[in-house]
Amino acid sequence: MKQAQFEAAYGPLWSEIDTLLDKRAEGREALPEQYRRLCQCLALASQRGYSPQLVSYLHGLVARCHHALYGVAAERPTVLLQWLRLDLPRRVRAEWKLLLLVLLCLLGPAIAIGLLVWHDSHNAFMFASPEELTRMHQMYSPSSLKTGRGGSEGDLQMFGHYIWNNVSIGFRTFASGIFGGVPALLSVLFNGMKMGVVAAWLSLDPATRSNFWSFVVTHSSFELTGLVLSGVAGLRLGMALVKPGRLSRRRALQEASIEMYPVVAGAALLTVLAAFFEAFWSASGFPPAVKYSVGAVCWALVFLFFGFAGRGKGVHATR
Amino acid sequence: MNFLLDGRLSLTTPEGVRLQLVPAGPVVRAYAWAIDFVAWGMGASFLISILGAVIPSPKLFSAVTAILFFFAYWAYPVLCEVYAGGRTLGKHIIGLQVLRADGLPVRWRESVLRNLLLVADFLPLLYASGLLAMLSDRHFRRLGDIVAGTQVVYRDKPPKRVDVPDAAPLPLPFPLTPEQQRALADLFARESRLPHARMLELADIAEPLTGRDGDASLERLRGMAAGLVR
Repeated sequence: MKQAQFEAAYGPLWSEIDTLLDKRAEGREALPEQYRRLCQCLALASQRGYSPQLVSYLHGLVARCHHALYGVAAERPTVLLQWLRLDLPRRVRAEWKLLLLVLLCLLGPAIAIGLLVWHDSHNAFMFASPEELTRMHQMYSPSSLKTGRGGSEGDLQMFGHYIWNNVSIGFRTFASGIFGGVPALLSVLFNGMKMGVVAAWLSLDPATRSNFWSFVVTHSSFELTGLVLSGVAGLRLGMALVKPGRLSRRRALQEASIEMYPVVAGAALLTVLAAFFEAFWSASGFPPAVKYSVGAVCWALVFLFFGFAGRGKGVHATR
Repeated sequence: MNFLLDGRLSLTTPEGVRLQLVPAGPVVRAYAWAIDFVAWGMGASFLISILGAVIPSPKLFSAVTAILFFFAYWAYPVLCEVYAGGRTLGKHIIGLQVLRADGLPVRWRESVLRNLLLVADFLPLLYASGLLAMLSDRHFRRLGDIVAGTQVVYRDKPPKRVDVPDAAPLPLPFPLTPEQQRALADLFARESRLPHARMLELADIAEPLTGRDGDASLERLRGMAAGLVR
């Protein structure tokens, strides 16, 4: 068969496929069958030595069909819910060793430095500049806490700031963890250090003590958990590079990132939640007793969730 | 041997069709990144000036811009890659696209992971880690690509169908091999993009086939090419 006859015989099929590919999903039922015929056309055209233009045209059409047919993701409308309910707590529990390590890196310096500063307040200047401490002190002094933000718009401003700042820190902690986990641990360590200094410094002065603790108690439950989870995910990525086990390093990295993906998403969601509480609840005018109770409930929820959610359902994990 | 010299990445589909991908190197990707960066900066300043005019309160303004920046910074490349066929604006202009290692379009997970890991690629400064990873990888993958299992490749424009040469078919004086026939057909398919002098020069080379030279040889060649097709 000459090329012109071939084109005349199959041209309608090709243009039909072409128009089908330009459209969205409707009417695609016929595509698999047409795709097989198109592949046959391509095989014939290249075997019979038709012009390279025709062959590359058919080849391009086949490639587009391939994308359209095989590139469709199965629809999983409940996958986010499933992650949050099952995969997130399960994977965090599965990495309990890394979780302990990250917690140690966060709380270790925080408690040690906190005690040091509590013991002798001059020690605080080893870890923070006097200006910073004065600024912190002013922020939590009784006179500025209520007037500092200037109403609901100020709250909203802080919400935007917390989202931009804190969620980005979580993402960076995770991503930088790929270098053997060291940067992720350093990020956690640094935050723990800062936490210890500020908490101890503000607790030393009875004027700021209650303000500070009632301010942070609620949102810290979500924010610290978010940071710890980002740290765990980053560390897991780094461990895949350091200790890939029986996989190649490349493969181990891919597996680790797939496993830690729900954890990173969960950490980001927790940080957003923390930003919400920090902006709209923590600085509100409720008496400290109410804030402490709400904070206690939030901390309990976090512990209960990561301790017990997703156990014994017999539902297999999503990939 | 041909395969070894070829930088292209060859994937075979279940139907036995070989798809070939050309990995994109650091330089073109840097161009695409620069275009994205400029577009991002311009879009951001445009939005800020509009919002600044619309929103009177400075606090509300800074709240909206912070949230907007957050999404523009982290979500823009992901949304582009998932919904625009693996191309951000820069990649679209340069002609690149992000694909998974198996040649299929990226989905949420791959896109999110590779764009989060952009932070790691940036370290210690100016994408040094990313460049190092690209230069030591066969397919120019940066760290984010390795972790997410993706790659950036050149995007072929879908080729158009060309009409066969419009001339009275002539028989060949002696049989040509398939490669030679293909070269002949290819020549007239590309005629519109070649200068006439070049066509004449090539027609002169074909003198053993046509027995003429110059325009006469070209016309005979055209007839033979039409004869191959018709």
